Amino acid sequence: MPTYKLIYFNARGYGELARLLFAVAGVPYEDIRVERASWPNEYKAICPFGQMPLLEVDGKILAQSSAIARYLAMEFGMAGKDNWEQARIDMVVDSFGDILQDMRVPYLETDPEKKEALVKQFVGESLPKRLGYLENILKENGGGQGFIVGDSLTWADLGVANSVDYLKLMCPNPFENFPLLAGLVQRVREIPQVAAWIAKRPETAT
Amino acid sequence: MPNYQLVYFNGRGRAELCRLIFHAAGVPFEDIRLDHTKGEWPGEWKAKCPFGQLPVLVVDGKMLAQSKAAARYLAREFNLAGKTSWDQARADMFIDEFDDISTELYKISHEKDEAKKAELREKFNADTLPRHLGYLENLLKENNGGNGYFVGDSLTWAGLGIANVYDLLGGTDAPFAKFPLLLALAKRVRENPKVAEYLKTRAQTSF
Repeated sequence: MPTYKLIYFNARGYGELARLLFAVAGVPYEDIRVERASWPNEYKAICPFGQMPLLEVDGKILAQSSAIARYLAMEFGMAGKDNWEQARIDMVVDSFGDILQDMRVPYLETDPEKKEALVKQFVGESLPKRLGYLENILKENGGGQGFIVGDSLTWADLGVANSVDYLKLMCPNPFENFPLLAGLVQRVREIPQVAAWIAKRPETAT
Repeated sequence: MPNYQLVYFNGRGRAELCRLIFHAAGVPFEDIRLDHTKGEWPGEWKAKCPFGQLPVLVVDGKMLAQSKAAARYLAREFNLAGKTSWDQARADMFIDEFDDISTELYKISHEKDEAKKAELREKFNADTLPRHLGYLENLLKENNGGNGYFVGDSLTWAGLGIANVYDLLGGTDAPFAKFPLLLALAKRVRENPKVAEYLKTRAQTSF
């Protein structure tokens, strides 16, 4: 078994999908958490693009959160059974990247009036639009009571479940009008290894 | 051989990496370019697109959205993704970095306030871009001195990606002035016979 280290902030953020993968796979790793106040630190020099998260596998380094999560998913057999399924998973995961892009501006806005308007637009329009497409994709996969791609748990399902934790920063119940997605989130969070990880992970704001 | 269609607008944009992969691999595909002024978009296509957006890749009638997912699918099909799972992950890493660069450029091009736009462009040219290219130059150098490829010892979609970034940045050597290894790689890829043939004949577009 390789030696794994994940290096990120003491936050869920762009590191949490990797942590969920380790948890579900039951694979031990060193969960290195850097406090924001002490960044940049000695790790910055080894970060390929100067940023975390970083994955170290037997001393070899990988950056970029999606590349890291995809690599772990492939190693742990949670990446889909063929190239097409892998691509469909990538498609679902990348769509959350788009949601996060949409979320940045309202999230970072400091002027209260502007923020209120931007949040309203995100929560009322752009988020439901994207979630609607995802709800359809889930529905088209055998009715939507299983997984979002294929017939077993993949990192796309973990990505959906993980998204609730950051979307809650914008509205209390992001999947309220998307019953199939909400059902998937529930199913994922009830997986024993996921439930155990969520119960024991550090509580962080993001 | 599967039937491939790539559907996008008439521009390089988010479809060009897929086009480069098809051409580098010598695999034929239908290069569909929709003209929104003729009602071809939204037209019939929008309702069929998984996220209502382009580009989409259609493989024997099955649809795949998200430009990187589509490009990675093709790269894997055509053995341009990297020889080992580690190499594939490293290639993915480079592709994500190129995407970070193009996202910054899209933010600038979508900025409506002219003054803000100029300010963003200035910051990008003076700071953001050299920082990104510097990291890429170092990483390239770490791979056997930097006179080969980003990953392993043969062309992958990461190499096609930097050739695409070259166009994204204006299609001149100027942005790469301080990054000789990167520039040499971009040119090497653009001179690959199948790529060069495509670059000679492809439509000149504004984006």
